[in-house]
Amino acid sequence: MTDIQIGVLSFPALLLMIFLRVPIGLAMFLAGLAGLLIVTGDTTVPFARLKSETYTTFSNYSLSIVPMFLLMGHFATLGGMSQALFKAAEGWLGHRKGGVAMAAVGACAGFGAICGSSLATAATMSRVALPELRAYGYAGGFSTATLAAGGTLGILIPPSVVLVIYAILTEQNIAKLFLAAFIPGILAAIGYMIAIGIYVRLNPGSAGIRPRVSYGDRLRALLAVWPVLLVFGLVVGGIYGGWFTPTEGAAVGALGTGVIAWFAGGLTWATLGESFMVTARSSAMIFFIVLGAAFYNGFLALTQVPQEIAAWVVDQGLSPWLVLIFILAFYLVLGCLMDSLSMILLTIPIFWPVMLELDFGLVTMVELQTARLDALVASGAELSQAALDEARTALAAGVELTREQIRELGLRQVNQGALNRVNTEQVAIWFGILVLIVVEVGLITPPVGMNLFVINAMDRETPMVETYKAVLYFVASDLVRVALLVAFPVITLMFIPW
Amino acid sequence: MHGFFVGLSRLMAYLGGAVLATLVVLTCLSIAGRSLNGLLHSDLAESVAPALAAALLDLGIGPVNGDFELVEAGMAFAIFAFLPLCQISGAHASVDIFTARLGRRANRVLLWISEMLFAGVLVLIAVQLGAGMMGKLRTGQTTFLLEFPVWWAYALSLSGAVSAAAVAVYMAAMRSVEMATGRDLLPHVQGAGH
Amino acid sequence: QEVTLKLHQFLPAQANVPKLILDVWADGVEEASGGRIKVERYPSMQLGGTPPELIDQAIDGVADVVWTVVGYTPGRFPTTEVFELPFMVDDARAASCAYWKMFEEHMAEGEFRDVKILGTWVHGPGMFHTADPVETPGDLEGMKIRGGSRLVNKLLELTGATPVGMPVPAIPESLSKGVIDGTTIPWEVTAALKVPELVENHTEFTGTALYTLTFVLAMNKAKYDSLPDDLKAVVDSKSGLEFSIFAGGTQADADGPARQLALDAGNNIITVSEADAAQWLEVVQPIYADWVAEMNGRGTDGQALIDQARGLMGGECKGADARM
Ligand code: NA
Ligand code: NA
Repeated sequence: MTDIQIGVLSFPALLLMIFLRVPIGLAMFLAGLAGLLIVTGDTTVPFARLKSETYTTFSNYSLSIVPMFLLMGHFATLGGMSQALFKAAEGWLGHRKGGVAMAAVGACAGFGAICGSSLATAATMSRVALPELRAYGYAGGFSTATLAAGGTLGILIPPSVVLVIYAILTEQNIAKLFLAAFIPGILAAIGYMIAIGIYVRLNPGSAGIRPRVSYGDRLRALLAVWPVLLVFGLVVGGIYGGWFTPTEGAAVGALGTGVIAWFAGGLTWATLGESFMVTARSSAMIFFIVLGAAFYNGFLALTQVPQEIAAWVVDQGLSPWLVLIFILAFYLVLGCLMDSLSMILLTIPIFWPVMLELDFGLVTMVELQTARLDALVASGAELSQAALDEARTALAAGVELTREQIRELGLRQVNQGALNRVNTEQVAIWFGILVLIVVEVGLITPPVGMNLFVINAMDRETPMVETYKAVLYFVASDLVRVALLVAFPVITLMFIPW
Repeated sequence: MHGFFVGLSRLMAYLGGAVLATLVVLTCLSIAGRSLNGLLHSDLAESVAPALAAALLDLGIGPVNGDFELVEAGMAFAIFAFLPLCQISGAHASVDIFTARLGRRANRVLLWISEMLFAGVLVLIAVQLGAGMMGKLRTGQTTFLLEFPVWWAYALSLSGAVSAAAVAVYMAAMRSVEMATGRDLLPHVQGAGH
Repeated sequence: QEVTLKLHQFLPAQANVPKLILDVWADGVEEASGGRIKVERYPSMQLGGTPPELIDQAIDGVADVVWTVVGYTPGRFPTTEVFELPFMVDDARAASCAYWKMFEEHMAEGEFRDVKILGTWVHGPGMFHTADPVETPGDLEGMKIRGGSRLVNKLLELTGATPVGMPVPAIPESLSKGVIDGTTIPWEVTAALKVPELVENHTEFTGTALYTLTFVLAMNKAKYDSLPDDLKAVVDSKSGLEFSIFAGGTQADADGPARQLALDAGNNIITVSEADAAQWLEVVQPIYADWVAEMNGRGTDGQALIDQARGLMGGECKGADARM
């Protein structure tokens, strides 16, 4: 058997283990270990790697963002921020048709801005919003589905643990990925509100009416969310403003929410200990999956399988767009069975080399030169008006600037290599956001949807089937959004600096 | 017996949490020091209060030296220290859609197999991490900035790895007894998600 | 073929060192063996681990051959640091030649006894790339600079700069975010990292270089010993002194095109004259003193190593050159 055959065969073996309920991280670790043993013929390589690989995986500086964000999300809950967000959203939206559900989605989006985890967002907001929804006569399955879908905003809106992992796997800039996730995240919240509007019209009697609140009360409720805005502004603003790295931003966020929770009286020695326990369980689970994936991917790399698959796909000469749609569809199917983080860790090392070989032509030389010229003008450089006009005319007509023009303007050199780098980064960001969305859809697609399970478990009276039925509206909204983002990459990429 | 291992797991998780919280504070202090340092070096500070700025700078106001290295070493310890709790509370992510239809007996066998495999893997990890630590000790490798021996960090992590291995072996042993006697001794928790 | 060698290193396959040096070595070995040796190339840490682990991967046999920066594992190979001292090296070929000779004399049976070393070299002149211009040591005060090695970090501390440690691939993001104000690297690496697009000032020195880093191409000892004698001879013929000089020279030659890119981008290149370098030399004197003391503490005559390296670079290694 060749190394490549062993690599390919490891995949069904791994899936078999996972479907037999072997914990996912353990299954990947075992597949990697067994694979390395078979390919190299003895224990030298896998055992030697284990001498340092566990330590270096757990001590990865970029990954240390994960426990910090988890702590931050927990502190935010202790500080009453979830409550404040929901009250504010309810004040402004609650009196509309389906308004309380819309408010829950809005509050999820707000909480998502300070929480990096989908499940934590769903669970936290459910504690606040579920009783309220039921009190105003919202149907059980509709309520749970709303919160399960709203929870996915926790990871679509930055900060996001899954995006951090993706950034590390593809060696991309975490800050740029966070920035790119922003508009798709807002679109998701709007899409879910539209889905709610459609649901309540197609299912009369599924939602009651909540009385209007005075504008004074609304404003008061809105002012109460200042801690959320402060923390989000500090963390995200600091990262983009160049004050600190994403990991440092996570530390600032954790400390900030901790201090706010302490002032609000939510942070005591007892709740701090509980925060440590919650963070410990989630962090250990995530890091063990990361470790298993690192081990398995190291084995796959040794067998050259990812490179072979990439080469094979390129040889087929398929349209890049078709390949992309196949990959996204694959995630949607796999997402019915597996959780988001495992899927990313398992598949990105295989799909990313494929994506790297595909040319979507997202950025042209003319566009890149235009952007560089705009930056130069914005920087206040003194340029000859004639040369500038000439360059603008050429670029507007779709003609590349000549070397002489570039030199005369003092513009930074743009060669093919620079263009390729920009294109690779754009594809990485765009693809990352698309993958993020499709794996998050997996959290709410029946039958295995982690968010569905957790929220449904919080509402004993509602049968799972009711939740399944109602959530399809939200899944449909997700699919429309994915189609939009595939068709118009600019939606994702418009604010990303080159 | 169970109480001892739960206690050990919680103790390690508290220690890991304390280190995590310390790293959070340390990182923030480093950012504050870095910003202040930049401010004191700015034209503004040098024109308004040059003596004060110089005095403060002499006090060593600046980023925490080697903060990256401390975060890395501390985070490795924290994660290793978190493993036992994850292990004993069955918090590892798993997929149970296919096994849900299998009977109680079959599920018990599958769980037993998983726990045995986990015990083996965590023991292997601890043993090899120990070997890695000995290697770092022998070669005298240090970190870049603080130049502390790398084996210190390995030794800290090893305490978590050994605890995790001990807890995993204990869990595997208990599941084996459950298999043999057909009685439930430990809670049969579901895998968690995120 | 009879033997497969897995060559592992941390840069992408198209970067200068893999393309211009490691591939040349690997192709040469394959060809000279008449196809009996195949060198499988694993760029970008594809076999797993992080760059500082490469040397252990060669020692433990995770990879058969690795290329690594010696300074990634501070404290382990102290003698190599004689070529990492600031303002020590002026020509990469001569330094690589001297490095190999001193390796054979002091390190082969010492620091590197666990591994088979195939080549030892240094890169072209290391220098500053900064947002604000740097001409004198005082200009560095208050700047956050990424340092490439333990000794560079010491130099930065002595000037009042704040040394920041990070791996090479993290440099572009940190520069663009202002997390660091500048970095030390040789010209050759700047092109791949887009450094000329991120900072506008580059400070180089005439005469001896601000600093250099040392590299080794290392092979698993057991793997080498397992080769039949004729294949050992093949590996030996492509390795050693000549290869080291070739590697150091090739890397230094790659500085030119990268420097041109910075010029094309309209950047400001500051060249410190030998006269002006005097104040820099004064600043780094404590580093020499500390290093000698440290080496003496380890039972090695540090000053003798410095003198020998200088003697070789100015004597029998002066003007050394080799092609592969
Ligand atoms: Na989020
Ligand atoms: Na699903």
